[in-house]
Amino acid sequence: MGRSRIEDKAYTEPHSIVEVASKTLSSYPHLVSVTAVHDEKEKSIELIYTFSDFRGALKNISTRIPEDKKTLPSIASVAPAASIYEQEVSELFGVAFDGNPFTGKRVLLPDCFPNDVHPLLRNVKQEDLEKVVAGCMLGEPQIYVTGSSRYSAESVILLPFGPYHPALKEPERFILVLEGETIVDVIPKIGHVHRGIEKIAEGRTFLQDLFLVERICGICSFIHSWTFTLAVEELLNVKPSKKAEYLRTMIAELERIHSHVLWIGLLGYWTGFESMFMWIWRLREKIMSLLDLLTGNRVHKSFIAFGGVRRDVTDEKLNTVAKTIAEFEKDYKKLIDEIMSYEPLVERIKGIGMYNAEHAIRLGAVGPMIRATGIPYDIRKVEPYGAYDEIDFNVVTGKGGDVFNVTMVRIKEVLESINIIRQCIEKMPRNENPVPKTLVIGVVKEGEAVARTEAPRGELFYYVKAANSRNPHRVKIRTPTLANILLAADMLKGYTLSDVPVIITSIDPCFSCMDRALVVDKNHNSVFFVDFNKLRKENKRIR
Amino acid sequence: MADGQRSEHESFDRRLVRKSPWIFHFNSGGCNGCDIEFVAALTPLYDVERLGAKLVASPKHADVLVVTGPVTLQVAKSLKLIYDQMPEPKYVVAIGTCACSGGIFSGGYTVLGGVEKVIPVTICVPGCPPNPKEIFRALEAIYKGEIKVAGGGCGEEQNRG
Repeated sequence: MGRSRIEDKAYTEPHSIVEVASKTLSSYPHLVSVTAVHDEKEKSIELIYTFSDFRGALKNISTRIPEDKKTLPSIASVAPAASIYEQEVSELFGVAFDGNPFTGKRVLLPDCFPNDVHPLLRNVKQEDLEKVVAGCMLGEPQIYVTGSSRYSAESVILLPFGPYHPALKEPERFILVLEGETIVDVIPKIGHVHRGIEKIAEGRTFLQDLFLVERICGICSFIHSWTFTLAVEELLNVKPSKKAEYLRTMIAELERIHSHVLWIGLLGYWTGFESMFMWIWRLREKIMSLLDLLTGNRVHKSFIAFGGVRRDVTDEKLNTVAKTIAEFEKDYKKLIDEIMSYEPLVERIKGIGMYNAEHAIRLGAVGPMIRATGIPYDIRKVEPYGAYDEIDFNVVTGKGGDVFNVTMVRIKEVLESINIIRQCIEKMPRNENPVPKTLVIGVVKEGEAVARTEAPRGELFYYVKAANSRNPHRVKIRTPTLANILLAADMLKGYTLSDVPVIITSIDPCFSCMDRALVVDKNHNSVFFVDFNKLRKENKRIR
Repeated sequence: MADGQRSEHESFDRRLVRKSPWIFHFNSGGCNGCDIEFVAALTPLYDVERLGAKLVASPKHADVLVVTGPVTLQVAKSLKLIYDQMPEPKYVVAIGTCACSGGIFSGGYTVLGGVEKVIPVTICVPGCPPNPKEIFRALEAIYKGEIKVAGGGCGEEQNRG
């Protein structure tokens, strides 16, 4: 469970995909991913739409389009979540989706990238891409305002947020359409951290890829390598030992604690409660030291191997974990009591960024975002992997979507994770060897597999295709933040500019502002770019 | 070395930065690993703030630019822009193997490589990610004036990692 080999794909004709998708959605309401696979031999591109229900069943619908006529209808009209997944495929494979709201815009690739190069097609060579990178040189920064012609009223201001903010981690741009102080629309521009990992993965061996996928994210690094391992183990038909399953579960839960606690600290930073940030991050160091103790690394653990884990953990170390976790729990409870009894903080986040369950499902939200609305959708429970089926734990849910509920879900999940770790230590078989004989796996037989896990931020999805070679033929990764970004953009609507940091951080990305402004010319219905110096000159002239 | 022997510019740097190195943090496309270790270095256990270091909101207030991650095509322009906005003398600290050389992501179709491809680097702190102690040590070297503004960059030796 948690992983499966794709054997029963429902084939359909490209022109009837909307009809089929809408029928599937009635029983499988959650669109997990849209995966494209290029087949050079048959000169076609296969598109796999993966749907899921909230009880763990998956359904794969597949369609094929020829290489020379890469168009098919978009399913965004029936599944709005598809718009961003389709856009990803469209930029990386050059497939045109009729009716996708992003059509004609750049969301993922850099602005300087040529329009006719689609990097994930198998016949695009590494040398050609290197030339593209060399040709993409520094110039004046530009702002792409997508869909701006819709907003030409005098009262509308387009405010670019991002891509840089000093305190936060990831660059991310949102273009906010403001009417006075109220946000009426948000246009996301992602891809600043797009490093082309899926293409790099195709050129390296499975073992090398294990370390590559780990470095997709520094916060949920272990869960990435675990999900990839699950898919590859499915292709290899290997099962890890019981102790390895427990050790993996334990590390994943420690990682969840560190990720959630990190986020709670940053919430303090964003709401102007810096002492909270400092207290919480000091507490978090306890967990980091445990990860260091168990795996030898604080951030990128490199702990997992195909068929097990890379090193055994002694009983002595497990006792240290039990002791430290107990200390952590005591301090954490006390600290959270203190923080959540501080009214200005609670008032700041209550009723901000409200959304409901129906909304969350339609936009494809995952993880704490969907659980905050009361839907107990947790892959650990609905499709148990690792040792989760032998562990007794609750899925934490909230009472309705807003920043306060999302915060409470994360706070309680930390306590639930502590409970899981405690059970792992108790139930772990002690006299087994979790380390596989060899780490190298060599050639992997032909096949396709998918794996899903519950990363700290939500459902993480991997698709791995092997074609009798040492390298994977295709690795597709759908991360939880991509699934949540449409919801984040939607949550902002109707709130004021001052709520933006709190709402956007509630899903976990970041943004910033720079000293430039956009002017919407009402008469000419055009948008142009003014830098700081020009603005200063204008200002003088008016005076 | 006695004060008299030092060049005028060097001692000026030292006097200036000795007070408090203000830091602007820039993620040039990294995985967050180095970022969280850098932020951990600011928080109580490691506490770079005891050197007077402070995270600032604008590059115009900053003495030190901390860059994490390989430089992607999309952020290269912003990195240059932010570097140009910083007042002299300025230091650039590249944290993590990716910022030093592109690391594991070298060869990606949107990855330009290390920070040195865009702006001059003063200190490289390789590691995946480097321990907060290492990050602390690099900032401490700047604080104590052990590093000149025009530093030697990453160097061949470290680039190999």
